Amino acid sequence: MGVFKDAEQLYQCIAGMMEICSEDQAMGGKIREAELVIRFVYSDPDSQITVDAKNPAPHGYFTVYRGENDLEPEVVMEMKADVAHRFWLGKVNLVSALTRGEMKARGPIPKIMKLLPAIKPAFAIYTRHLQNLGYQDLLA
Amino acid sequence: MSDYWQFYLPTRIIAGPGTLQDLPEHILASEHRRVFLITDRVLRQNGIVDKVVSVLKGVEMAGIFDEVTPDSEVALVEKAARLAGETGADYLLAVGGGSCIDTAKAVNLVLSRGGNLRDYEGFGQINTPLGPMAAIPTTAGTGSEVTQYALILDKQNHYKITFLSPYLAPALAILDPELTISMPPGLTAATGMDALGHAVESFVSTSTGPLARGLATEACELIFRNLPRAVAAGDDLAARLAMLLASNLAGIAFSNALVGCAHALAHALGALREVPHGVAVGLMLPHSIRFNSRQEPDPYRELTCRLFGSTAGGEMLADMITRLLQECNLPYRLSQLGLAEDDLPAVAGSASVDGAMYTNPRLADAEDLLVILQSAY
Repeated sequence: MGVFKDAEQLYQCIAGMMEICSEDQAMGGKIREAELVIRFVYSDPDSQITVDAKNPAPHGYFTVYRGENDLEPEVVMEMKADVAHRFWLGKVNLVSALTRGEMKARGPIPKIMKLLPAIKPAFAIYTRHLQNLGYQDLLA
Repeated sequence: MSDYWQFYLPTRIIAGPGTLQDLPEHILASEHRRVFLITDRVLRQNGIVDKVVSVLKGVEMAGIFDEVTPDSEVALVEKAARLAGETGADYLLAVGGGSCIDTAKAVNLVLSRGGNLRDYEGFGQINTPLGPMAAIPTTAGTGSEVTQYALILDKQNHYKITFLSPYLAPALAILDPELTISMPPGLTAATGMDALGHAVESFVSTSTGPLARGLATEACELIFRNLPRAVAAGDDLAARLAMLLASNLAGIAFSNALVGCAHALAHALGALREVPHGVAVGLMLPHSIRFNSRQEPDPYRELTCRLFGSTAGGEMLADMITRLLQECNLPYRLSQLGLAEDDLPAVAGSASVDGAMYTNPRLADAEDLLVILQSAY
């Protein structure tokens, strides 16, 4: 079994972290400037999160959608949920993961690369978020 | 070195003077026989294409596309794919430098899968084998004949689209030095420095592994020994073969281990100021090495130990590369390229978000890269 016991726990951890980031002026502002719709498709457990920085809801710099939806993403990233978890802990090099096939990406990759420096603070936010949720076991 | 690595090489490599003669045998063995050749006008005019076509006995020439440009773009790839499809071609043959080979890879993708090239943009979007393809490099630098990448210019959106899949790598690469002897000294030197950049940066990359390091070391040795010879005497077949091998080995190494900040800076210099890629890589390499090795000295010590029997590391390697640049009559200062110092911040900004930065051994932001550029000015 993977890190997350089910999709609900994944949404609570990863989508929850993204929702916190969506209200962070420094990070959220830079992501909003990209005007991208990015979909993350995860396996084990099957789940998906879509980040809409093109037409976000009035509150926040971008909107995070849990589960399937009709948005048309410009970039789709596919990976195992465990890889996503390690990525948000700051333990996965995106470029290496893409080259090795641990992650797959469809769409204009340079737009994603440009966001990487902006999302660095999210790694610490993710760790804090898991601690606040009482998921210390996921940080081991 | 990372505690996890992978290594993949799907290409059969045949190297040596006269190995072009082996080409028809391998095409026919693949049970395909209608060949579509992709090249550029220079190679058509200087007789290289005729030489290749003349050996293709028992093979049907479906067509020749000679419109490849130094930065091949989407419309050109789709045009070549359409023409190849109309001729009923079932085997692609790339003859030329990196742009010809990358174009043929992209044509193979569209020809095999249909649709538009942009549909396949990304990493890992091609998950089953494409049609058969052979590559015959006529320069010694990109290593594209063995890499799983193809870079195609998106003129509309002003960036190079990256396609990455193991299935993009040609099934066959023929390294025949007789096809590189017409390469002029400047191009020989610049492409050779590109290969050296692949070798050094894949050796020190955060994604490197023991196989990549072995190949990169061998490539460096071959380049230091043979690049000045190939530049000075273009008809030195032994030096030409050594450089083709070096480019190939470095190509395999970086296809698996990726590159670093010299390449990121070269991509930006090429995109913003049209500096030829090999010239830019060669020029930025010593300065990138000095920057990286101040904080991460060990991989450079390891490399100089293997190459020169000394653990002097980055400073020594940077000095050796600067001497090589001078010996090959290549620029070693950005100011020699006519760049204004005011251009440098934009170059640093663009390089800081280049994919190559993410496997550089030392973290660097735009300010760090500006310091490197200023040291190279």
